[in-house]
Amino acid sequence: MPAETCIMGLFKDDGKAAKVILDLPAAGFSFRRAHSPIPSHRILEALKLRKGRVGWFTLTGGIIGFFAGFALAIFTSVQWNLIVSGKPIVSLIPFFIVGFEFTILFSVFGNVIGLLVCSRLPDYGGLASYDPRCSGEHFGVLAACEAGREGELMDFFQKKGGEVKVFA
Amino acid sequence: MTDLTYAQIDETVLNTLERPRPRYWVFVALMLCGVLLGAGAWAYQIFVGIGVGGQDIPVAWGTYLINFVFWVGIAHSGTLISAILHLFRAGWRNPIARAAETMTVFAVCCAGLFPFIHLGRAWQVYFMLPLPNQRLLWPNFLSPLMFDVVAISTYLTVSSLFWYTGLVPDLAVVRDRSTGLRHKIFRVLSLGWSGAHHQWLNYSRGYLFFAALATPLVISVHSVVSWDFALGVVPGWHTTIFAPYFVAGAIHSGLAMVLTLMIPLRRIFRYEAIITLNVLENVAKTMILTGLIVGLAYGTEYFIAWYSHNAVEWESFRWRAMGEYAYGLYFMILCNVLIPSLFLLKAVRRSVPWLFAISLAVNFGMWWERFVIIVGGVAHDFAPHAWGLYAPSLVEYCIMVGSFSLFFFLFLLFCKHMPSVSMTEMKETAHHAG
Repeated sequence: MPAETCIMGLFKDDGKAAKVILDLPAAGFSFRRAHSPIPSHRILEALKLRKGRVGWFTLTGGIIGFFAGFALAIFTSVQWNLIVSGKPIVSLIPFFIVGFEFTILFSVFGNVIGLLVCSRLPDYGGLASYDPRCSGEHFGVLAACEAGREGELMDFFQKKGGEVKVFA
Repeated sequence: MTDLTYAQIDETVLNTLERPRPRYWVFVALMLCGVLLGAGAWAYQIFVGIGVGGQDIPVAWGTYLINFVFWVGIAHSGTLISAILHLFRAGWRNPIARAAETMTVFAVCCAGLFPFIHLGRAWQVYFMLPLPNQRLLWPNFLSPLMFDVVAISTYLTVSSLFWYTGLVPDLAVVRDRSTGLRHKIFRVLSLGWSGAHHQWLNYSRGYLFFAALATPLVISVHSVVSWDFALGVVPGWHTTIFAPYFVAGAIHSGLAMVLTLMIPLRRIFRYEAIITLNVLENVAKTMILTGLIVGLAYGTEYFIAWYSHNAVEWESFRWRAMGEYAYGLYFMILCNVLIPSLFLLKAVRRSVPWLFAISLAVNFGMWWERFVIIVGGVAHDFAPHAWGLYAPSLVEYCIMVGSFSLFFFLFLLFCKHMPSVSMTEMKETAHHAG
């Protein structure tokens, strides 16, 4: 596999960054990543990305939580088979509260796990090819080119109105 | 909306993290003294026994439960602002969302201490965990107190995770603009966040789900707290309106605390361009609504007592207005309903001194509301020979001072060491405005 160099173009406008992402393949360069200080719909549309998959983790957590909450309340009640105030041992209405709270709690756990898994966090290694300006006011587009074509890629970014950063 | 550029937003917020002046540490030390006073009083209570508090038959739930409900209430508006207003796409909540979420987390921490304190033998708290005891008996989930354990611990966990998730992109901003030890700490805390497209894609989705899950949770939590009382057969407590009544009151008091915190924060950190007068005015407008709901609930309680023809219920409410604690009822009506209705006047809504003064009045009134409900119910219930009065002891006052000091101590530490305004959300606001 030929050696590759990664170069980042930094733009002050997400519209320009999105346009660059669309134009990269035609210029013969491969797109690697886009970095931005805010979620940019223009960039996500340019990348033609579908919705994140976090929701599946959230849903799974919620289903587990719902049944876990009811199961815990029912299990603890049948361990203590004592009728209080004429209420049945397995009283679904009060147990719904436990089921509901567990549904939310486990949904959130699923959501956090999904967020970490889908976003591939923690990712301290990814900072090696990252420019700190991307958390400020710049939108960064990281692209790769074959060895020897670095100048072309730098020109490409500069013609589109961006600043350039080369990663070794 | 804001006219600031991304760089100006970063600069304004990051300037607040500069080395603090000595005056800041004086305030921190003062709050720490309050915390130590409270901790000392609690230690004394543990050593001597729960009897050093003023709670006694018939009022077994005094300031410990009043403060518990008060702090849970304060916690509610943070989630209202960060979650519910996020779902409604109310852009004005962005400048105050971070501080309100932080307030939520610290207020739940303060609230969570009181059941431990009230337990007396705090080390036996494991009785409330879903674990079998020595006789293999498990906690009874039919009890509203167990509902409370589940609801409050869920709320603390969810609000903490929601708060931290919202912080991650801002922690990366601080990491990228710091050096030395601070850089190392924020590098770890920001989890290597780089704002990559796949991170934002999933983050936006995950944050939306967080908001959608926190919304029903916040309503359920104070409903569950209200059922601690409403499921007890006590006049003044045993009513079906408690859940919405408590939720509205919680949001009312929480919004007041948001104003109490935001107004000094805005002045000290020169946030006037971010936390604009329009933002404060919108909080005040929301308080008109919550104040009216709370007023309706006060009226409805009296109507139910009168319309029911229940002699015990009616006597309880008559005593509430004319008995030994009548001043509490008038404090709550005045501070929670009448004074906030001054916000109907635009001049009052747009006057920072008025906003601050009214927010303090509502905080005061909401504390008294909890006093009237909690103490008033059991002090004057069914049997006249069992009626009695209650006054907090010095230990209780010290613990109360400790809880308020702990809240402000944590908030002071937070706002000087973490971004107290969400830079990312402010940039989004600027992006959409531009």
